[in-house]
Order: sequence, then structure tokens, then C-alpha cells
Amino acid sequence: MTEKTIPTLNFKEKAEELLPEGASFEACLTCGLCSSGCPASGIENMDPRKFIRMAMLGMDKELSTSKWIWACTQCKRCQHVCPMSIDISQLVFLARSNWPREKKPAGIVRSCQLIQSTDSTSAMGLPPEDFVFVVQDVLEEVREQQPKFKNMQAPMDKKGAHFFVNQNSREPMSEPDEMVPLWKIFDIVGANWTYSSKAWAAENFCMFSGNEEAWREVIKKRVDAVNELGCEVWLNTECGHSYYTMWNGINRFGMKADFKLESLVTYYARWIREGKLPVNSDWNRKNITFTVQDPCMIVRKAYGESIAEDMRFVTKSLVGEENFIDMQPNRSANYCCGGGGGFLQAGMTEHRRTYGKRKFDQIAATGASYVLTPCHNCHSQIEDIGHHYRGSYGVVHFWTLICLSLGILGENERTYLGPDLLECI
Amino acid sequence: MTQKQKRQTVETDVLIIGGGVTGAGIMRDLAFRGLQTLLIDRKDLCAGASGGNHGLLHSGSRYISSDLHSAIECREESTILKHVASQCIEETGGLFVAVEGDDPGFAENFAALCQPAGIACNPISIDDAKKLEPLLSDKLFKAYKVPDATVDPFRLALLNVAHARMINSSSFRPHTELLHFTLKDGKIESATCRDNQTNSILTIYANQYVNACGAWAMNIAQLAGCKDVNLLYSKGTLLVSHDRLTTHVVNRLRPPGDGDILVPGGTVSVLGTTSIRVDDLITVKPTVAEIDINVREGTAMIPALAKARYIRAFSGVRPLLQSAGGSDDREATRGFALLDHSTQNLSNFCTITGGKLTTYRLMAEKTSDLVAGRLNNSEPCQTHVTPLPDEESCKWTEPGASPKYWYKANDPEDMILCECEMVPQSAIDEIVKDAPGAEKEMTLKAIALRSRAGKGPCQGSFCGIRIASYLYDQGHYHDKTGLIHMRDFFNERFKGTRTVTWGLQAAQMELAEALHCGLLGLDNLENN
Amino acid sequence: MSEEDRHFSAELAVIGTGLAGFAASIFALKRNIKTAQVGNTGAVAYTTGYLDLLGSLAPDYLASIEDPWQGIEQLRDSHPRHPLCRIPKDDIFTAFEQFTSFLGKCGIAYTPPGEFNVSGLTPAGTLKPTLCVPATMQVGSAAFSQKEPCVIIDFKGLKGFSSRQVVANLKDRWPKLSSKRVEFPDMVSGEIYPEVMARSLEVPATREKLAKILASAAGDVKVIGLPAILGMHAPDLVREELEQLTGLQIFEIPTMPPSVPGIRLREMFEQLFPQKGVTLIPQQKVDRLVFIENGAQLSLNDSFGPISIHAKSVILATGRFLSGGLKAGVDGVSEPLLKLPVTQPDSRREWYREKYTDRRGHAVNSAGIEVDSSFRPLDNHGRPYSKNLFAAGVILAHQDWIRGRCGAGVAIATAYKAVEEVEKLLK
Repeated sequence: MTEKTIPTLNFKEKAEELLPEGASFEACLTCGLCSSGCPASGIENMDPRKFIRMAMLGMDKELSTSKWIWACTQCKRCQHVCPMSIDISQLVFLARSNWPREKKPAGIVRSCQLIQSTDSTSAMGLPPEDFVFVVQDVLEEVREQQPKFKNMQAPMDKKGAHFFVNQNSREPMSEPDEMVPLWKIFDIVGANWTYSSKAWAAENFCMFSGNEEAWREVIKKRVDAVNELGCEVWLNTECGHSYYTMWNGINRFGMKADFKLESLVTYYARWIREGKLPVNSDWNRKNITFTVQDPCMIVRKAYGESIAEDMRFVTKSLVGEENFIDMQPNRSANYCCGGGGGFLQAGMTEHRRTYGKRKFDQIAATGASYVLTPCHNCHSQIEDIGHHYRGSYGVVHFWTLICLSLGILGENERTYLGPDLLECI
Repeated sequence: MTQKQKRQTVETDVLIIGGGVTGAGIMRDLAFRGLQTLLIDRKDLCAGASGGNHGLLHSGSRYISSDLHSAIECREESTILKHVASQCIEETGGLFVAVEGDDPGFAENFAALCQPAGIACNPISIDDAKKLEPLLSDKLFKAYKVPDATVDPFRLALLNVAHARMINSSSFRPHTELLHFTLKDGKIESATCRDNQTNSILTIYANQYVNACGAWAMNIAQLAGCKDVNLLYSKGTLLVSHDRLTTHVVNRLRPPGDGDILVPGGTVSVLGTTSIRVDDLITVKPTVAEIDINVREGTAMIPALAKARYIRAFSGVRPLLQSAGGSDDREATRGFALLDHSTQNLSNFCTITGGKLTTYRLMAEKTSDLVAGRLNNSEPCQTHVTPLPDEESCKWTEPGASPKYWYKANDPEDMILCECEMVPQSAIDEIVKDAPGAEKEMTLKAIALRSRAGKGPCQGSFCGIRIASYLYDQGHYHDKTGLIHMRDFFNERFKGTRTVTWGLQAAQMELAEALHCGLLGLDNLENN
Repeated sequence: MSEEDRHFSAELAVIGTGLAGFAASIFALKRNIKTAQVGNTGAVAYTTGYLDLLGSLAPDYLASIEDPWQGIEQLRDSHPRHPLCRIPKDDIFTAFEQFTSFLGKCGIAYTPPGEFNVSGLTPAGTLKPTLCVPATMQVGSAAFSQKEPCVIIDFKGLKGFSSRQVVANLKDRWPKLSSKRVEFPDMVSGEIYPEVMARSLEVPATREKLAKILASAAGDVKVIGLPAILGMHAPDLVREELEQLTGLQIFEIPTMPPSVPGIRLREMFEQLFPQKGVTLIPQQKVDRLVFIENGAQLSLNDSFGPISIHAKSVILATGRFLSGGLKAGVDGVSEPLLKLPVTQPDSRREWYREKYTDRRGHAVNSAGIEVDSSFRPLDNHGRPYSKNLFAAGVILAHQDWIRGRCGAGVAIATAYKAVEEVEKLLK
């Protein structure tokens, strides 16, 4: 068997092709703001400025084979701080796609394969029938055990529902009870929603693996599923990249989508403002402090300030304005945690934690006891670096805190609560 | 002035005046023959035309219409150099292309013209030419392939000097300016020089004196009372683009004119040249008008040149022998002249001038033959057969090479100081320690000449600061002189950028000026 | 896929997110003018933190001037068209006061404007005449003028800042100055950036570790100077705590880009303006600006799609070449957004002098747009382009902010004036 080699890309040429005039690699002033502001700087002795310069100096072979492209999470912070607005993430994507599958980080490739393996588009390979079963099973249990919710629904394949709700596979697969708080919220606000047995999953590692064709297929399945059910809104739950991959994918591949893409955070904020979600912070008598992590994929790379503002509004409503401490920097200037871009699945643990040190410092500087984030990758990474660097904070989902505030958080739904929060129930 | 000037005396077999490639080549050639030499330059290596040209290793085809002899010389010499100095040469190949408006007769006849010179010149189809160089104009109507190549004159000079140093401890002294000769009994007895950095006076006693000062050769000869060197000066201006636009050398298929050669230089492209007769060597610098002409003319071959980001322009002076005549200096002979000055009643002085980068070795050989003969040394020349050995401290001028060394070494402690060209600390260390012309307090300009530092898009505006602070750190700089080196370096780089500062380069310039003048106050050092 | 257009309306739209743009928004806030601000990452990230008013006088900028206020008087005689000459001194003073006190309230304290310039230290060991300095840098200027014993400390892995260099160039005027190199806590190998160090110092544990290192490096000396790394979001707090932990007086010296003081300002503005009610759309360039009855319509796009803003008035504070407010073309300098006429040298031949560091500066640096006495840009006929359009900052002609050391002065003073005129218009 012959060892597969990584073909050599012409980065300079590709940058000229892909990036707008005046913001391509040749526009670089080499000031270094990108590298200064990049958590992946130094990993594999690389940084964004070196990436650009190596491309311009024709070091295509080195760039084509550099492992750094798997440590860059394509968070686009470099572009955000660049006076010339130069984007390297597109070239990183290209470099990733250029690696033969055998050479790519196995974890990311496997997750993509699993996504392609069923109609669920689930990175954990959970088939539609199993998803339907788990949802039904959990629902029945809640109905039995929590009298308040004995009539609660978790509709499946309901045509004409307003919301098509996606779900990160981690819940149905590993912690099904974590789905319940979400259902309760829908129940309380009276949302007309549905799951789909097909293309219900949120995650898309095919994008991270640089497999454009597979990315397209995944998005196609999801778009078809929403179109088929005739929903008005594809509602992205607490998952970051699922939004970006769908939104960017639909535009990139020119797909016809008869619906809007929305983020659950926006609706949390709207429902709270409208009084449909009557949350308050009275429960937080001990003034437990919280900060929020802005997922790159929905803040800097997509909605920008508006969703960041919604997130803060929801958080302050939930925990009390005085108990909210913003991370620095934040919103669109926030650092990627290091869980993005498939880093968590890439098997580069040491690099990932080096990357995550900045996030850890940011959190440590707030002194907050909990980090709230509407993104599963952020959630896992922030937990991991917390343990690794001996932090003392916890990480919670919004849905958990909303239900806690409303006094409806079931006993099985408290996995992420520390003793201080448990006492508040 | 009360400061007493230090005086020093040095003896050598041969004093070579002028640190261009020819002087460096003579140094090595004579070292092979067992002769010890001292090479001096008023400024530094390649400070004149050796550093102010396209870096084109001519196949000879360029001169085919005007100077068959030079064409043949180029063909022979370029073949030799590809063999003996391959590390300094990129065998890019060259194209000659005619575009709408060019003389079809000349274009058709080109291969036939090349034949008597023995130059391999093959017509290729327009499609094939565009496959080789996608940026070529759509208005192309004729194309030929020729064995043009590119050469790095800085590395070439450095390696020649380094090798001579290795063979017999021949040495090179930069910033050493010849003030006058002392003549006695039909001979030069000594040469009095000043070290322009320390202001000390140096008297050099040699058996033979070689004037290899290129365009300055007439001035030097006159210092020895020789009136037989009569030069005309033809100034050429070139500009450097941020990107390498073509893989081949691209020549306009017409009699030589403005802006008709685009030469890749590692990671950039060099467009030129203009040709303007100048009366003196003092005001040689690019003008806006020359830049605009080059770009306009170059655009006819490669339309992308109109929108390219240019980072630098420079001028060089072609020394032309007076006898040449004719109205266009490009029509004048590109051959060289070796004058033994016997008619001037001097038996130990000679002048080598004219010629071109491609023929430097031959010029050195002929000069060395004369010098060695006069010293009754009959050792044969070896430079056409013995490859030029590599030397660690001379490898940093190659475009795109330092990042490769750095990347391979993978040492995070070896920080990059010039981010544009990715020149690491270790390069600076090596240059300051070992490169020809190295000294304890080396100027930033001298370091830049021996590396790629300052050659990228920021033109040294950031790395000048980083390298200076590194040199302070390492104890090479220890007082305000370091700031003066910094300022002089930026002033020097500016000479190259001032005529090409528009578009993106204007943004770069504004940032640089804010930093150098606004923050560091380098425009006001005297009053700080 | 259906998307909603985003539309905003405001009384004032500020175009540009550099010093002038941010200053304009501050002054507008002060006057309760509903403001929207748009602009791509400006040159503000490159600022040193020093706020110069006027440090050197045209035409030859020979010596640093001590009294910038008197300098402005002189400028009135020699260069009456200089933007600083078109604004009463009291207004300039008030503008600096309001600007610095706003920054102070937001966590980056500044010395208030005074009668005289102070000497700001630079990483080259030179001195820069400036009016207001961040509190984190104040001790350095004071220690220099008192010639107090002082150690400049630098860090292994931080390029472009050498304490030996600072000392080498100041020691003739500051004999008791010495240098030391230390390692930054938990960043002992490879290259480190000031930004990373600054952020890490926001963590109390890092401060404690660094304090020990600094105390030991200082020895008997009581004042130490560091590169600008004392925190990003709360520099005053970081400095105070480090001073408490070490018992030393500590100051910062600005570094070359990418440096902390500029990022500090930018992040602070980007974060606080939305909280204070400014509609801020950073990182985006305005694609189109058209004036309609009683106002203007701005169109732009972010990664998410189109945005439009309707504003009753507009301040153009788009800067020069670096920020894109002016464009240098082969055939001349232009103003790309509105195609306003640009006063400039007759040809490119005259843009630059022969010598880069020529103290008289380069002609192209005084190119810019013309305004009337109300700071309304003029059109080709010398008439205001629109009664609703004003301009501020270094896009204005007849000033060379680099040689004059007056960048912040021009930005802040003209922004103040422009906002004052906007208020008149809105009434």
C-alpha cells in the first residue's frame, strides 16, 4: 500500500481567486494585529501573518502540509481585527479539503462519515428511528413523572409547524434528559414546533473536514426536510456551527430554502420581552455570578451584535444584571474557545488546550462561577479547559437556567449544576 | 575639528577598488592563482549597477539585433554560470513576445537573428505562450522561447568574496573610499583611503591596483592621472512588484526599449527599464515619469502590471564606452573594456568597465590574466570550471529561502524579525558574525544587503525597528548611533518607495511614517 | 431563504471608527444626539495611547514645542488654514477635557489637558511631546523629569521592545536608568505578543506571579517601566494592583504595532457605545452615501446582509490612506465615498520629498478635503456639498499630523466642532 501524500496547493493563486480585491493576501500590511489576536498563534510555530506571508513567498508545500490548519478554528477573528479585512479562513478550509482523507484527523472524518451514514445527518450516527424512539421514550417518562407536563408534546414530522427544531446529537445519544428543558420552554410559550425524523441533527463535521461535497449533501438533506414539512422557521437550538454551516451553505451552494433561519437565543429574548417566558432572577439570592461565551459561529461569523445583545439580555434577565460579568473581549471581538472547527474531534489535545488558555484566562478574569453558552462545542471545550487549568467554574445551557428560573427543572435535568446552583432550586 | 584621525597601513598583492560582482569575481579569480587581494568599496557590495539591474542572466537574445559580439558572450557566459554558480541562478527560461503594434517583420525574423549567435530560440504558439504565462496580453501575435535565466547578484558577489576569503584570506572592506593615489616611478605606490564609518585613514600598499568601479571607473582612473577612460552614463530605472507575476523572464519582441523586460526575482517581479543619459552619478534615482513609462509599456505585454502593487523602484547606471556613439544608449555596445593604462605611463594599474552582470566572470578572468601576468604569475584561471562553494552566511539573500530554513528548523525560540520576508534572528546572528563585510557594529543597511530583511511589502518599516532592538539587545548597538542606523535604513528604503507609493503602498507608507516619525521621532533625532 | 433588511435611523451618522469618529460619537452622546456610527477597523488600533495636541511647528518642525496653546497661536499666523486654527482654543481645551474624562469614566484614565506638553517615552528611548497621557504611562514622564532611579524591564520573547535600547538612548539624560530582562509568567518559550500578556494580566493569579518577578528585578529601585502590557480592559486596575503587590511605582511605554493601547481604546469604544445607545456597526465600510431631503441614506453590507441607515446629518471622519478615507491613485488623490474634491499637489512628482525623514514633511500628507467655517466639506464649486454633511479628523487638508504631532488634536478638536455644528443644524 502506498502512503498517500498531501498535494500541494497554490495558496497565492487561490487567495486571488477567492478573496475580494483589496482584501486579498497582497493587501497585507504585515502589521501583525491578526497574529496578536489569534489564540492559535505559536501553535506549530505558525500564526495568521505567517500563513499569509508563507503563501506570498510560495511556501505552498509547507502550508499544504502544516498541521496548523487543523488548529486554526476558522473563527475569523484575524479578519475581524485586520484593517484590510483579509480573510484567511477560506484558505484554511481549502487547505483542509486538500488533505487526503487518510491524513485528515480521524475524529473529524469519522464524524462526517457518520453524518453521511444516516438520514438523520447525525455526527453520532443515530438513525432516524432511534431518534424517534428516544424522543418518545423521554417524553413518556416526563409526562408520567412530572405532572405539570403531563400533556407536553414533542411533535415529530408535523407538517406546517412554525418551527423546525434541530437538535445536537449529544442529547438524544448521551444525555436525553437534556432535551426536556427545551421542550418545556416550547410548551410554556405555546410554540408550534416540530422535530423531523430526517435531518434533525445540528452538527456538521463535513464542513470542518473540508469536504465540500459532503457539506453540500448534508445541507441539502436539511433544506429538503424543512421544505418538505413546510415550516416557516428552521430554529437552531443551542449549537453554534450548525447555524453557520446551514446559513453559509445555503448561500454558498445556491440552494432554495423556503424558510427563515433563526437562532433560539433570539426567541428566548423575544419570549422574555413579550412576557411569554416569565423568567426572573429572584432565585439567585446568593448572587452567583455568570458570564457568557459568544460562539464565533453565530456572533462574529453570522448575526453579529444583535444576537450578542440578545444573549446578554436573556442572561441578565435570568441571573440578575448585577450578577452578570462580561468576558473581555466580547461579542464580535470574542476569542474562539478552541472547541470550534472540529478541534475537539481532531485528536490534538495539547494544542487545543494551549489554544484554550486564552479563553480560560478570559473566564478567570471575570471570576464568574458559571459560563453560559448556546453552543455545544464551546460548552465541551470550556468544561475541558476548566478542568485542565484547574478552574472552578461550571458551564450551563441557557435552557437549564431558564427552567431553573421558572422552577420547572426536573431532577434529571440538573447535570451541569454545581452545588451552589442546586441549592437555589 | 580636534579629533585626531586614526591612521593605519595595510599591504596586499592586489588592491581591487569597487565591490561590484566584477571586483568580487576578480578577487576570487586571483585567489585561485595564489594572489592575496584586498577589495574595497566606498559603500558596500553591489552598491552600484551590480545591485541596480534586473537580475537577468541573459541568454544573449536581447542583444541580437544590436550587438552580436555581446550576444555570443552572454550565451557562453550564461552557460558557464549555470554550471558553476547554480545556487545563484534560477533557470526560469525566457519568452520574447510581440504584441499588437510591434513590428511584425522584426518579430518574424527573430529566430533567424539568434541563429548566428548559437542561441536556442524556438517559436511557440500563442496558446502555448499563454499556457506558460497566463498573464500575457490577449494582443500577443508572436512568441519565442529562449534560455534566459535569473541571477541573484548579491549572493553572487558575497559568495565570490567568501570563497576568496576561504582560499587565501583575501579580504573585503566596506565603506572604504579611495581618496588619492600616490604615484612614483611609473607606478602607483599606495592608495590612501578613508573609512567612511569611523573616519579613520587607511593607506594601502599593493603591487597591482585594479579599478573595477563600473560607472565610477572614469573618476577613479582620473585619480591616477589616467585620461584614457571615457564613459557615458545611461541611467536605467526599474520597479519591483509585490508579487511574482510570471515564472519566465518575459521580453518584448522588438528592438530594446522602455519597460520591455519583466524578470521574476524569486518572490517578486522586476520591470524595466528606461534609458536616460545622465551627466553625473550623483543624482541617480528613479523619477515618477520613468516609473509611469515602465508601467505603461510593461502593461502592453502583461496587462496585470497596470494594477499590480509595487513596493520599490531603483535605478542603476550603465557605464558606456565613449566610442560607442549612436543616439540610443541601448544600441551602444554592451561589451566590456579592459584598459592596462600603459599609455598613461602606469605599469601596475588597470581598469575594467562596461560589460554586464552576465559577463562578469569573463571580465574578471581577463582582468586577472593581466594582473597575474604583470606579477609573473602564470596560474591559469579556474573560475569557469570550479563551482562556487556555498557559505552559510551568504545564503540569506535568496528570495523565499529564509522561511524555508526557518520552517525546517522549527525552533520557536528563533523568532522572525522581518515578518514580510520571514528573516529570523539566527540569520541576523550569522550575518553579523560571518558574512563578508561583517563587523561589530553593522548598519541595518549592511545587514539588509546580506539578507531579505526589508525587501517585502513593508519595505523594512517594521523589521527595521525589530532588528535594531535586537542588535541593542545583543550589544551590537549601545548608543544613539543605533537610532541613526535605523533612520538611515528607513531613508534608504524610502529612496526605493517614494516614486511607487500609491494604492496599498500609500497605506503602508502612512503607517510607517506615523511609526517612525510620529512615535519614534526619527525625523528629529538631532533635537531629541 | 428569506432574510430581513436591517434598517436604522439616527440624527447623526458618524462614518469612520478612528479617533475622530469615536470622539464625534462621544461629543454627540454628551449633547444627547441620537447617533449611529459605521466604519471598518480604523487606524485607531495602531495608536500609542498618547493624545497629542501639537508637538511641532510648521514649516520646518524644528524643535518640539513646550506650549501647544501658544503653538496654535503661532500657527494661526503662519498656517491659518490648518484645522486647529479654525477652532477657538477654549473649544479645543473643552474637547480634550470631555474626551479624556469620558475615557476615564470608562476605565482608561488619562491626565487632563494641561498648559504644557509632557514628554512621552518611546520604545526607541526617544521622547515625544504630547498633551494627555494614559494614567498607566504618566509615571514614566514624571520619573524622567525627576531623573529618578528607574529600571526598564523587558520580556523574553517580546520582539521590538528592548530595555537596553531604551536605556542606551536615554542614559545621557537619565543617568540612573537601567535595564533588565525577565520572563513573563507561564509564557517562557517562543514569541509572545503584548496583547496576550495584557489579557493575561487581567487574571489576578497572573498579576501575583508577575509581581514577584518585577519586585525581584527592581532590586532597590522604586520605579519601573514596562512595555505597554498592563491589562486590556482594566489597565488602571491592573497597574494599581501590581503597584500594591510590588510596592513599586510602575509605568508603561508604548510598543510598536501590534500594541496594546490602541486595541484597548478600540475594544472599549466598541463595547461601551452600544451600551450608551450609539448604534455602532464596526468593521464595515459604507458602500454608498446619498443625500436626500433633510438627511442622508447610508448603505452597507456586513457578512449577514444589507444594512441601511437614515440620518439627519453625517460626519465624515474616514481618515486618510490607511483607513481608506482618501485614496492615492497613480493619477492623484481622491475621496472615494462622495468624490469630494481633494486639495493636493499638482502631480505625483511632488508628493514626497527626496528624504524620508525630512523635517518639513511630505506634501501629500497635507492633501485633504476642504471645509467651510462650519466644517462642511466643499464641492467642486467651493460650496458646501450638503448642509447635512460635516467632516472631521485627518481627512481635512492643510495639516500634516505626523510632522506636527497633532493627530489626536486634529481628530478631537474637529470632531468637537463638527458635532457642535450638527447640533445647530438639528435645532
